[in-house]
Amino acid sequence: MDKNEWLLKIRFGDKEAFHHFYEAYVEYAIRTATAITRSREMAKDAVQETFIRVFRQIESYNPDYPFDPWFYRILTNECMRLLKKNSSSSKFIHADIENNPGIAEESLDGLSDLYDVIQSLEDAIRIPLILKYVKGFTEKEIAEVLELNQNTVKTRLFKGRKLLRNQLFPSREEDESSE
Amino acid sequence: MNQVNNFDKRISDEIHARTVQDIRGMKDEIWNGLEKELFSDERLKRGVRRDMNKRKRVLPIIITIASGILIVFSLQTSTGTAVMKGIKEMFVPEKEIIQNIEGMDEETDVQLNEGTDAEYVLYIDETRYKLINGESEDIITTIDPLPEGYPEVTMEIKQVLDTQPDVLVKNIESVLKQDFPELREIEEVIEPVRGFQLHGAAGNEAKSKIVNAYVISNGKDGSFVITQYYFLEAAEGHGARFHHMLESFEIVE
Repeated sequence: MDKNEWLLKIRFGDKEAFHHFYEAYVEYAIRTATAITRSREMAKDAVQETFIRVFRQIESYNPDYPFDPWFYRILTNECMRLLKKNSSSSKFIHADIENNPGIAEESLDGLSDLYDVIQSLEDAIRIPLILKYVKGFTEKEIAEVLELNQNTVKTRLFKGRKLLRNQLFPSREEDESSE
Repeated sequence: MNQVNNFDKRISDEIHARTVQDIRGMKDEIWNGLEKELFSDERLKRGVRRDMNKRKRVLPIIITIASGILIVFSLQTSTGTAVMKGIKEMFVPEKEIIQNIEGMDEETDVQLNEGTDAEYVLYIDETRYKLINGESEDIITTIDPLPEGYPEVTMEIKQVLDTQPDVLVKNIESVLKQDFPELREIEEVIEPVRGFQLHGAAGNEAKSKIVNAYVISNGKDGSFVITQYYFLEAAEGHGARFHHMLESFEIVE
C-alpha cells in the first residue's frame, strides 16, 4: 500500500491502513514535536492529538495538494497550543521579529551548544528552522505549514542561519547567497 | 558552497541527535493511546465511529455572494476533481476560538464537521459534542449522556427544500407552541445566523426545558431549521456553546 491508498482507506476507518500511515509518519512527527515543544510529554501529546485529528478529519484534506504540509500544520498548531497552555516562555511573534532582530541575540550569551542556541531563538525563527532541518521542508512548504508569506519564511530562515553562524563562527564571514 | 552545506548538515545532525532519543518508547505509548481513543470497543459502543458509507467528497470551488452564504460549485476535470486553494484556507481542520461561557472567556479548540451530503459545515468542540449525520436531520449532542432527570441537550439541523423561511417559521412556531406555550414572538436576527428566531421556556425551574430555533435561508428556495434544546440552568453553558457553534455555520452547495 502506498500513501494515497492509506489515506483513502483511512477515510473508511481502516485501522490497518492507519497503522501503516502511523509507522511512516510518527518518527519525524515525534522529532519535530520534541524540537518545537522541548518537552517529551508535550511532544507525545501533540503527536497523539495530531494523529487523532488526521483520522477524524481526513475528509477535510484536499488530495490535490501535498499531504505533508497539511499534516505538519496540524502538528505545529497542536505544539503551539500546548506550549501556550503550559505557559511556555516563548511566543510566536509575527510583527516584532522583522523590526527587532536583536531580540533573539540577547539570549545567546553563554550558550555554546548549537541545539541550545537554536532553542533559545524566538519561535518565529526557531520553528521555521526546525521544519527545515528536521523535516527538510522547502521555504514554500514551511510557508504552507505556518500559513505565512514565503518571503517572510525566507527572511526568518536567513536570520536564523545568520544567528547560528555568528555563534559558531564569530570571526568568519560566510557567503549568504547559497539559498 | 561546501562550507554552507557542512553548516546545514551540522544543524541537521545536531537537531537529529537531540530529538531521536526514546523514539521507540514514545511510538508505542502514542499508538496505545490512539488505539484506545479511536478503535476501542468503548468508543464503538458510544456510537463514536466513522461513517463506513461516507460518500465520495467532491471538492468544490467557493464563491461568496453578497448575502454571506457561501455558494460552492463543483467542477469535473479530466482528473475527476477541481479545487481552488481558497477552500483549504477557508475551512481549516481546526481552530481556536474564544467563547464566553458562564460569564468567563474561554479558549476552546474546535474542529471542522460537515453535515449530511456536505450541505453545511460548522466547528464543534469534539471533546464535548458529536455530530451525528442522519437521513432527515443531523443532531449535535453531548458526547457523555447527561445524568438522569435532566432534559436533552441537542441541536438539530435539517433542510427543508421547498419552503422559504418567512413561511416555514410560522409552521414551526405553531408546532413549538404545543410544548412551549409561552414561546416568544418570532424575531428577525442577524446573529449567530441571519434569519428568524423562536425562543421559549417551559418553566422557570433550573431543569425547565428551553427551545431556541432558527429558520434561515438555504440560499435557494428552501430553508435550514436549526433547533436547540437544553434546560434553563444550562443556558450559559450548553446554550452559549451552541450559540458559538452556530456562528461558524456555513452553508455549502
